[in-house]
Amino acid sequence: MSLSYDILPLTLVTGFLGSGKSTLLADVLRGDAAQDTAVLVNEFGDVGLDHLLIGEVNARTVLLDNGCVCCSIRGELKDALAALFSQRARGEVPPFTRVVLETTGLATPAPIVATLLADPVIRSHYALNATITVVDAVNAAEQRARHPEWLAQVTAADRLLISKPDLVDETRLTELAASLAALNPAAEILIRGDVSSAKGIDRHAGRALLDMLFASASSIDLIGRLGRAQRLANEDMTMNGLLAHRGERYSTGAASIQSFCMRIDAPIDWQVFTIWFTMLLNRHGDKILRVKGLLSIAGSDQPALLHAVQHLVHPVLHLDAWPSASLNPGRRSQLVFITEGLSRDAIETSYARFQHHLEEAVH
Amino acid sequence: MCGMCGLLGGGNHWSNTTAPVAGANPRRQRLIQAALANRVLVPFRLKLDDFHGQSFVLSSPTGASELVSDFAQVWRAAERMLGHPLDPLTLFIDEPATP
Repeated sequence: MSLSYDILPLTLVTGFLGSGKSTLLADVLRGDAAQDTAVLVNEFGDVGLDHLLIGEVNARTVLLDNGCVCCSIRGELKDALAALFSQRARGEVPPFTRVVLETTGLATPAPIVATLLADPVIRSHYALNATITVVDAVNAAEQRARHPEWLAQVTAADRLLISKPDLVDETRLTELAASLAALNPAAEILIRGDVSSAKGIDRHAGRALLDMLFASASSIDLIGRLGRAQRLANEDMTMNGLLAHRGERYSTGAASIQSFCMRIDAPIDWQVFTIWFTMLLNRHGDKILRVKGLLSIAGSDQPALLHAVQHLVHPVLHLDAWPSASLNPGRRSQLVFITEGLSRDAIETSYARFQHHLEEAVH
Repeated sequence: MCGMCGLLGGGNHWSNTTAPVAGANPRRQRLIQAALANRVLVPFRLKLDDFHGQSFVLSSPTGASELVSDFAQVWRAAERMLGHPLDPLTLFIDEPATP
């Protein structure tokens, strides 16, 4: 196996206390298929992962000079990842090709994402592949009501995995899946295990879970989910008792959390967009829990994949080509926003004003 | 940092990404970006200049100037110089909402 200084994919596994993160990892990483996976946990698990590499990361938060907690750097996580990489390079540990990082149940993902994106050493050696949030089917409603960390974990996810589906009935499971889809329209929702049959939801078990952990978020899937978000936004639609009305916010249960899909019909001017979006995140980053979507850039055939968690924007990816036209006719820009106390109208109007004011200068 | 001339700054902030437009010139796009930012800043008597394609210099009419490496810092520094927030939701309120 190559020991070259390539960039290793890192999957972040999060979820509230007792939601089944360690159980998931124990199931997924058992056997030969997971031999080349390194695991970092921020507490000692009692799972027998003998053949794997377990590092311990204690939570130590070093604040950056801007004082923003969500951009704080987890110093020991950085040290653990850097040490793991140098051990691999020196041949002191088996040559792994991917890394799973399991957080504590009370961790919010944003500072961890900040560490991965901001640190020059870490970002040269690791790339955040996907964030997976495990949601406890039994206790989800209570955790949502009582713990803000639960919401931060759900909104930051690329994939939501519902655990313990066998302990609740089919109706509750479908309702939970629907409410998660309303909270985070950009995420893929999966159900653990192969129990009974909620329709339209993928079931993953065993080997498939490993693929689920390491599959990177596909743009085609994203377009499909953006389409779903758009349908919800445009049609009055009853979804297991949750009503989503035209032009209004989804019924998410949390009073001030809104998720909506902002659509821009004309191709966007990249410079205008960067100015507007950096300014929006600077002033309202703490209220923008998540932004994910595809942008159609004027003068370019390549769509740009934008992905932000609070103030933090992942490196922008320019895809080779647009996914099939049937999924996104007209190649419109679509951005899913999950916000707390910021309305769709305010954001769309603000962008339209910026576009109008600044594009006069370009043309 | 630029290895040839030892200039600090640059970095890989997402807003420094060049759009993959045919015939795009990163330096030209950067100058356009600074010019556009000045459409926002000049009414507040602040000015942004490109600094060797690596950073930006934000200056105020009192002579204060600050070297900033990306747009996330531009707005933070501008708010500090102005002493009040710059809220994109309320800027250009007189503009029509549709382009």
